[in-house]
Amino acid sequence: MTAFPAALLPLPVAIPLVVCAAMLATAHLLPGRLPDILATLTALSVAILCAVIAARAADSPLVYWFGGWEPRDGVHLGIGFSVDEASGWIAAFIGLLYALTFLFAWGFFDRTHGHFHILMLLFLAAMVGFCFTRDMFNLFVWFEVMSVAAFALTAYHLEESALAGAINFTVINSLAGFLMLGGIGLIYAQTGTLDFEGIAAAVARGGRDPVVAGAFCLAATALMIKGAIVPFQFWLADAHSVAPSPVSVIFSGSMVSLGLFGLAKVSAVVFAGSDQVQRTLPVLLIGMGSFTALLGGWMALLQRHLKRMLAFSTISHAGIMLTGIGALSAGGTGGMLIYVVGHGLVKGALFMIAGILLATRASIDEIALRGLGRGLGPAGIAMALAGLLLCGLPIGVLDQGTRLVQGALTQQGHGFAVAAGAIGAALTGAAVLRASGRIFLGLGPDPGDEAGAPSQDEREKANRPLWLMLAPCCVLLALDAGLPASLIEHGIPRAASAFMHRPAVGAFAEGPAWLPWASVAAALVGAGYGLFRKRLPAAVVRPVSVTQSAPTRALELLHSGLIGDYAAWLAVGVAAIAAVLTLV
Amino acid sequence: MSMLPYAVAAWLFGIGLYGIATSRNFIHLVGCLGVCQSATYVLLLGLGYRWGSIAPIFYDHPPGTPAVDPVMQALVLTDIVVGATLTALLLVLTIQAYKRGGSLDPEKLRPMRAGGKSGRDPGPSRVSDAERSVS
Repeated sequence: MTAFPAALLPLPVAIPLVVCAAMLATAHLLPGRLPDILATLTALSVAILCAVIAARAADSPLVYWFGGWEPRDGVHLGIGFSVDEASGWIAAFIGLLYALTFLFAWGFFDRTHGHFHILMLLFLAAMVGFCFTRDMFNLFVWFEVMSVAAFALTAYHLEESALAGAINFTVINSLAGFLMLGGIGLIYAQTGTLDFEGIAAAVARGGRDPVVAGAFCLAATALMIKGAIVPFQFWLADAHSVAPSPVSVIFSGSMVSLGLFGLAKVSAVVFAGSDQVQRTLPVLLIGMGSFTALLGGWMALLQRHLKRMLAFSTISHAGIMLTGIGALSAGGTGGMLIYVVGHGLVKGALFMIAGILLATRASIDEIALRGLGRGLGPAGIAMALAGLLLCGLPIGVLDQGTRLVQGALTQQGHGFAVAAGAIGAALTGAAVLRASGRIFLGLGPDPGDEAGAPSQDEREKANRPLWLMLAPCCVLLALDAGLPASLIEHGIPRAASAFMHRPAVGAFAEGPAWLPWASVAAALVGAGYGLFRKRLPAAVVRPVSVTQSAPTRALELLHSGLIGDYAAWLAVGVAAIAAVLTLV
Repeated sequence: MSMLPYAVAAWLFGIGLYGIATSRNFIHLVGCLGVCQSATYVLLLGLGYRWGSIAPIFYDHPPGTPAVDPVMQALVLTDIVVGATLTALLLVLTIQAYKRGGSLDPEKLRPMRAGGKSGRDPGPSRVSDAERSVS
């Protein structure tokens, strides 16, 4: 018999699964808004349960073995959940994000028979399972459940562009699943167990081993595909821009960062004993992360389709998270965990605002929306605030994460990565601020009759009250800005050390205090340049447009929307990671 | 241990990926994805195989008879379920896409197209869109 707190562990996964099965069985009977109510309550209860578990796990991780199959004499046969403080809080955050998304999506779909809610609850259960598990194969199963729910949700509208985006997403992420399974097979063959702890012990005994390195290469690639790291990022921009807004909130707010969360866990726990992997990680992760942060930021600035802009901004921020993992210190990983929560809150709010614009103004094109947001004052303020938070305005959770990541990187002398992260954040902030200035204040040149946005016309249901859509968005922003900093500062060193299975440390280093302000200033300059370019003297404008046009053209051509190109880039990425692993 | 299963697995994955990269038909593409997945079957079964041992069913064998690794077989079974799900889902998406777009060619069906145009060469207008959005 498992003791009280540990016996709670399966519940946050089981409850949404049971509710979604019951809803599926009775879908045609459920009256009106009952699915909305049920789903919101379920997500809330998951959030509360996870918070209770996380609070209980503060001293030592809670472990639950399914069917009582505890390891005996060092042999792990059973499958277990193991929750440390950080994993518990991440799962609680995900539950809360879902609850607010269900509120945002209240009445979003007319005749769904609750199918949207069923898929979302399945998605939620998979995410919580992914956070909690301590078994490699179980990790793969949740990874796949998460993927399949996400594929179906992306194509929910069954429009042409939604279908194309969903197919690209499905193919690339299925390949990720296959790679991961291959990696799991290799590591099992070498260590004879699938349990995180068991593998870690066997890997530490083994010394330098090409099979372990190969397994890591495959599993890490799979998680980086989920985390949309360059050159695996292509699917994300397609999927996020065509998915229904509430689904995009979940994608950007939790699914992408969960891939990187998994990578952090796997590299810190499972492969901690492999010198080869640990030597490679800083080079690999910091290099790819910095590049991703810059490229994502730049691409975000080039977009006029709002959701696609936010998607590239997510790519940029995923790069910053990856540099945090690459620091390989408790400070870097702790910063990354905070960053996941902060970024999820802010980006979720931004996608909700995009959804509000799509619902009330029937467009998602920044240029076409110019000045149309005037009646939506609160949404405009929220969007500008979110843009400022995104580029590093020093308040709130996201800023705390940024400073911890920057501190860890500075400590280890990765100045380039710090600069890349700051520039990437500034670029995405500039894109969001430019869009909010144009849409809500009517700034910038009048476009006249221009071609429409580069996707087919999208519509989302308009007859929902504005306050209902705006309230969850404001709650997210308030949470990001208002969570007491001292609480996080106090808890994160302990939580991050427990997450990485390392002895506890004191306080973490923080990055330079002027850097966030520099990012904010750069973002404001960038947004201003985008809006008022026509009024600037030619001596300023010409050098900028001359230097940026060729690389911009190349980048736009790369993001072709063709699944074949994406598969080729995937092969290139796997080869590059394998090469780094062999050479270092 | 023979290297053959690993070589076959790597070759299958590579050739499947090549098929996906060059495919001009979604049904063909789904098939190529299946080829990629077969690589994982071969790899897992190869890893779990023991020469001269029986299938892990001890009904008519005394316990302790050398058997191949049952865990790997369980993984392959799960993998097959995943594969069936993915293939079904992708084919549904393909049918829906064909109903709406009238084509199975990935190059005619892109998530983001300039002004709703289709075809191989949307380059110039896409770029000018991008530049306009910078301004």
